[in-house]
Amino acid sequence: MSKTSFIIIEKSYLIRKGMASLIEKIPNTSLIHQFDNEDDIKSLDHLEADFIILNPDLLSTNVLKAIKKIKNNTQLVSISDAAISISKDIDWAGSIFIEDSQNTILNKLNTLIGNRGSTKIKSELPEEISKREADILKNIALGFSNKEIADKLFISAHTVVTHRKNITRKLGIKTVPGLTIYAILNKIIDINDTE
Amino acid sequence: MLITKNIKMADVIHTNYFTLSVLNRFGIELGFADKSVSEVCNQYQVDVAFFLEIVNTFVDKDYFPKKHLQTFSVKLITDYLQKTHHYYHQVKVPEIESLIEQMVNSCYTQKETLVLLKKFFTDYKLELINHTHREEQIVFPYTLALEQVYSSEKPDSSLLKVLETYSIDIFQNEHDNIEEKLFDLKNIIIKYLPQPKDSKLCNKLLYELFNLEQDISDHSRIEEKVLVPKVREMEKEINKRFFKN
Ligand SMILES: [Fe+2]
Ligand SMILES: [Fe+2]
Repeated sequence: MSKTSFIIIEKSYLIRKGMASLIEKIPNTSLIHQFDNEDDIKSLDHLEADFIILNPDLLSTNVLKAIKKIKNNTQLVSISDAAISISKDIDWAGSIFIEDSQNTILNKLNTLIGNRGSTKIKSELPEEISKREADILKNIALGFSNKEIADKLFISAHTVVTHRKNITRKLGIKTVPGLTIYAILNKIIDINDTE
Repeated sequence: MLITKNIKMADVIHTNYFTLSVLNRFGIELGFADKSVSEVCNQYQVDVAFFLEIVNTFVDKDYFPKKHLQTFSVKLITDYLQKTHHYYHQVKVPEIESLIEQMVNSCYTQKETLVLLKKFFTDYKLELINHTHREEQIVFPYTLALEQVYSSEKPDSSLLKVLETYSIDIFQNEHDNIEEKLFDLKNIIIKYLPQPKDSKLCNKLLYELFNLEQDISDHSRIEEKVLVPKVREMEKEINKRFFKN
């Protein structure tokens, strides 16, 4: 089972630490990243997470932009003082208050994770690559560019990119040389085809 | 626990033996008896404050005092980065190469796949060499020239010329993620490689790959989060001072 992943965006070191240690207590979760300021948030778009726990005070336009770039099934959870009213422009999946007890927070998190459950399980079917993806992988390993692959297989370059992303996610391999080794090990291409 | 200057250097290593590689980079040798961190640093002419910050980022993975690290001189920072490059090329890479070589030699059944692994790493090594070479030949000299201009009243015109040839933004854009391939290599070994008979070698190799990946990622963090912002500030200041418009 793949883990439920979290990102925390919060200025206060103490709150970040506290939140991180609570997430750690829940089985099958992982904290991918913690941010404490805007500069770093720019690098958000490389990350994929199920939940972003975010202090609404840090919701500048830049942060909003960065968050929008992330996959749209990422859910936002606010973390703030209970007294503060939270912007309604955003779809919050839940809210955590710093006054909450440990149990309240754990319950909230577990509920959030549970609600996602159904969508989550679907993506956890055996991550084998499809026939089409194997075709694409073969061409990547043979050294063709996205554009060339698109032309060869009569699909759009955009579709090739989507396939590539899926291949990378399923295999856990990002680079072309890495994918090439995988293709050889799995007899998708022959070692002699590569040179 | 964070290391402070009065702690015994021996205890630094007891706290976390990964610090051994840091000592090595600063040229500090073992055998310091009961000397404190600051005594040992002084003996080896190492900047104590800088040493402490670096060693602490190794001891505590959450500790990264960006702002304070930016207060050290470019000279100190790039010296350290350069020594780290040296450590990769002289120590880490040969270690990994030799492990892969041993695996290839000790295995008869699937030599082919291991040869693939070997080629992957050889290519990676070239990439790493190019990466660090470019930093040492272009980026670091530029930042050092910039620091000289920054700290002099009337900088040499030839020095000012150097500044026109490069900018830290170029570096930020061209600086690629050099750990990515190591991540792939690890995953290939963990998930897909038919397991060789000698799993001991394979485990050792994985351990080294994890280690190098982490080290390079810490290293890049200093380049991107310390050197780049520091130099950018200096560029701004110099522009104001010498190219007023
Ligand atoms: Fe470097
Ligand atoms: Fe670098």
